[in-house]
Amino acid sequence: MKSPQTSMDSPLYNYFGPRPEGEIQPREVKREPSARIARARQLYFDTKSSASVEFPYWYTRKWEELDGEITMVRRAEALKSAFSHITPTIFPGELLVMGKAHYLRGSYPMPWLSEAYFMAQEDEMYKEALEAGKISADKVTTMGQGGGNVTKSTGNVLSIAGKFGLRKEEMPVLLQIARKWFNKSVDDVGHKYEQLVPGYKEKEEIMRAVICMFDSGYTLPQGREVMNYYYPLQFGIEGIRKICKEKMQETAGYPDMDRMYFYKAINIMLEGLQSWIRNHAGEARFMASLEKDETQAAEYLDMAGRLDWLAENPPRTFHDALQLVWIFHVAVLNEDAISGLSPGRLGQVLYPYWKRDVENGILNRERTLELLECMRMKFTELDCFASMGVVGGVLSGNTFNNLCIGGLTKDGNSAANELEMLILESAITNDNPQPTLSLLYDEKLPDEFLYKGIECTKIGTGYPAWVNNRVAMDFLLNNYKNEGMGLEEVRAWSIGGCLETSPGSWMPLELDGVVHYIPGGSAPATSVGVHFISLPKVLEAVLFDGLDMRTGRRVYPSHGLKLESYDLVWEAFQKYFSLTVEVLTLTNNIQHDIWGKISPSIINSMLKPDCLETGKDISRKGSRYNRTFNVEICGGVNLVNSLASIRKNVFEDQNFTLDTMRKAIVENFGYIPAPETGSYSLTEQRKTNDYGNWLKIHKQCLDAPKYGNSDQYVDSIFKEWQEWFSAMCENYRSIYDEPLYSCQISVSTHGPMGAVTMATPDGRLGGTTFSDGSVSAYPGTDKNGPYALFTSASCYNHALSQNSQLNMKIHPSAIQGREGARKFLELIKAYLRKGGFHVQFNVVDSRMLKDAQEHPENYRGLMVRVAGFTQYWVELGKQIQDEVIARTEYTTI
Amino acid sequence: MNHIDCKYYLATDVFNGICKRTKDTILADAPACEDFEKVAKCRHCVHYSEDDLYTGKCKNLTLAYPDMKAGTCADFTWN
Repeated sequence: MKSPQTSMDSPLYNYFGPRPEGEIQPREVKREPSARIARARQLYFDTKSSASVEFPYWYTRKWEELDGEITMVRRAEALKSAFSHITPTIFPGELLVMGKAHYLRGSYPMPWLSEAYFMAQEDEMYKEALEAGKISADKVTTMGQGGGNVTKSTGNVLSIAGKFGLRKEEMPVLLQIARKWFNKSVDDVGHKYEQLVPGYKEKEEIMRAVICMFDSGYTLPQGREVMNYYYPLQFGIEGIRKICKEKMQETAGYPDMDRMYFYKAINIMLEGLQSWIRNHAGEARFMASLEKDETQAAEYLDMAGRLDWLAENPPRTFHDALQLVWIFHVAVLNEDAISGLSPGRLGQVLYPYWKRDVENGILNRERTLELLECMRMKFTELDCFASMGVVGGVLSGNTFNNLCIGGLTKDGNSAANELEMLILESAITNDNPQPTLSLLYDEKLPDEFLYKGIECTKIGTGYPAWVNNRVAMDFLLNNYKNEGMGLEEVRAWSIGGCLETSPGSWMPLELDGVVHYIPGGSAPATSVGVHFISLPKVLEAVLFDGLDMRTGRRVYPSHGLKLESYDLVWEAFQKYFSLTVEVLTLTNNIQHDIWGKISPSIINSMLKPDCLETGKDISRKGSRYNRTFNVEICGGVNLVNSLASIRKNVFEDQNFTLDTMRKAIVENFGYIPAPETGSYSLTEQRKTNDYGNWLKIHKQCLDAPKYGNSDQYVDSIFKEWQEWFSAMCENYRSIYDEPLYSCQISVSTHGPMGAVTMATPDGRLGGTTFSDGSVSAYPGTDKNGPYALFTSASCYNHALSQNSQLNMKIHPSAIQGREGARKFLELIKAYLRKGGFHVQFNVVDSRMLKDAQEHPENYRGLMVRVAGFTQYWVELGKQIQDEVIARTEYTTI
Repeated sequence: MNHIDCKYYLATDVFNGICKRTKDTILADAPACEDFEKVAKCRHCVHYSEDDLYTGKCKNLTLAYPDMKAGTCADFTWN
């Protein structure tokens, strides 16, 4: 099947199938949450993202007091002090309590990681960071202006990092704290040493050009991984402290003394968590003392009793277990700047408690649903404090707490259970962005479970994402077999972050004398290393002999090639891409090494098998699996479409020369450059008076074969790129001395990375957004229907890479009712059976999105799927909103 | 004094909060009502000494600031 010709118009909407007419089609009617949750949702909608100085103040104060102490112990004491001093807050109606900070959407800066980006732009520290290319992405990021974002300073509130409100009275002390970390933070110390890497200057230029989105070691050093809740569930906090005390005695005075410090640090840190929990128990009692409503007062007292119990002991009930899981989830998030900390297969972890409570008659379906709805509120309230480029440009304000359902048990049977059905139900009744859900699809899963997943996807939540269990297992076995992973263990896998395939382990939870093997994460962050290389921007450098054509700066050494054939273009691309990966691997390795040395993980290390057994934290390969560094890319489909256009137009059909192509790129095909108009929208670009001079060439570029149409011409280029990319990653080694692997998710980077990239040979205009995901077609170019798209997407082996990402937008009428559900499930199965790894859906009438853009006040609760995450429409930047609107909408499947 | 200075103020964000007694939504910077009681903050502590409007010292030693909530500080002593 060939790629069809493309219209020269830039339509607002792109359709496969009949164009919808009449009124905007609503999504299928959803069910409502309980009254308790309806109130909590409204409170959330009325609340702004807020930063506090409390945690960094107490952390820094204790850190300074302990100058000279062993780093691991010093950090544990700093964490203990910070946790112990968080002002406890409990919001009326909560059944699960505690959060990152004392605000509902609270968070805080961590200047021990990085401190320059939230300083005033006039500050020397900020200027230095800008010069080093560390915050170039901030400059090209558009933050969502609505929802909970505080994008402007007003009254006694200052806007920092483009999203967070900070009380004006806290700013002076925050700046003083930040200055205390100058030249001591992971960012600053890492920067000192990364300059020793040969090619460091190229690295700076790569960052300035936004060919790479951000450094890995100090921005989000943890995350994109799966939590392991086994130890606190099995032993309780006092039980773990007892283990640590015994281990301290066993290791004191023996070789490899770092083990002793590690156990001491865990013990100290757990004391801090105990204070934190007990402070909240005290606050619950205080709230009860003020409460006139007897039911609410009883809930506060029940909560106080539960927290006091959990400060020492293992959970007694499902409610206890859920609260304890939440406490440790937040505790890890407070240890580092983290996105993508996934609860993993939580429904299987908690199932033994749930089943026992149901059998004992102390828990029913309604109460379970209410607790799960409360859990969804708590996850949705999470914010990640990081730079504007990271929070806005990469994350779109999302925190990526991926909860997985389905998959297989240790012995290879369906792992879906009744609690997971209720997790799906709670995601329908309380359709918040977090936790997002991924359904680990396996042929062994029962239809009832699959149709429940369909029901949830159909109402437009964007979740569950549908993920291929067998492809993930193949990837993991291939990558972790050298560390001992076998067939049973691989089944414990889960998604960490938006779509990062992560290894797991089966943990023997003993309850009432019966052992239940529960899955949990068993590796540190599975997506660190080289974070988001812009492939079209690398191609731009190839075509212009190493220059960033936006700024005119030289990024790469001249390749010295005349590019007289397609093969030479491809060769030059490989050369520049390899240089990029090499220098970024080395510099990021240094950053991560510094992170492990001066800001090591204690809480998350304690949780990950086998750190507690071996006495090694995760930076010292204490985890069971350690091949966790990767190379992430963005704009792959634009690269491939561009290569196809060059091959076809320049070298095969000889429609024009490569020099003419270059001129067309510089002239933006006759359109006004986006920075001049201020619009980076795919559909709002304006022509210059010279447009006619470039019309023919632009059409030839747009008409060149496009990925997503089952066109062998371009799909073969796609396959070649994929196979080369995954293979080349193995040439580079992480600080754990393991090879890197490829990772293919765009998150939101296709917006800001597109913004800095000139027009591309595929006809895309300069400054506009790239194609999302990794196997999604560029908006409007997939014209041969879903099955042609599937054929293109599955033209290579997806198990070569940590993931692939396919977004589709479907009009609600196409899958309406029971028959629509059946067709929808068959569509998904068809793709996964072809070897696709992942597919996710926006079930929405695009006209609704446009209406929401024009009338955001009417759509506070509207959610869309971006790329691996669901977010409130009003909290997305306009670049991404426009791209989602422009995606091809399938009105028939 | 404003709501933000009150013992019964539960901050939901940097702008707004809830009165723990009445459950009313209230503005952080609006004047407090007649039931106002001071919340523990460094500015009310005997150990706090002021350097300027926004920063000072704790026990003449450590950086501190007047609006830091001190309900969890073991050394807090009303001045």
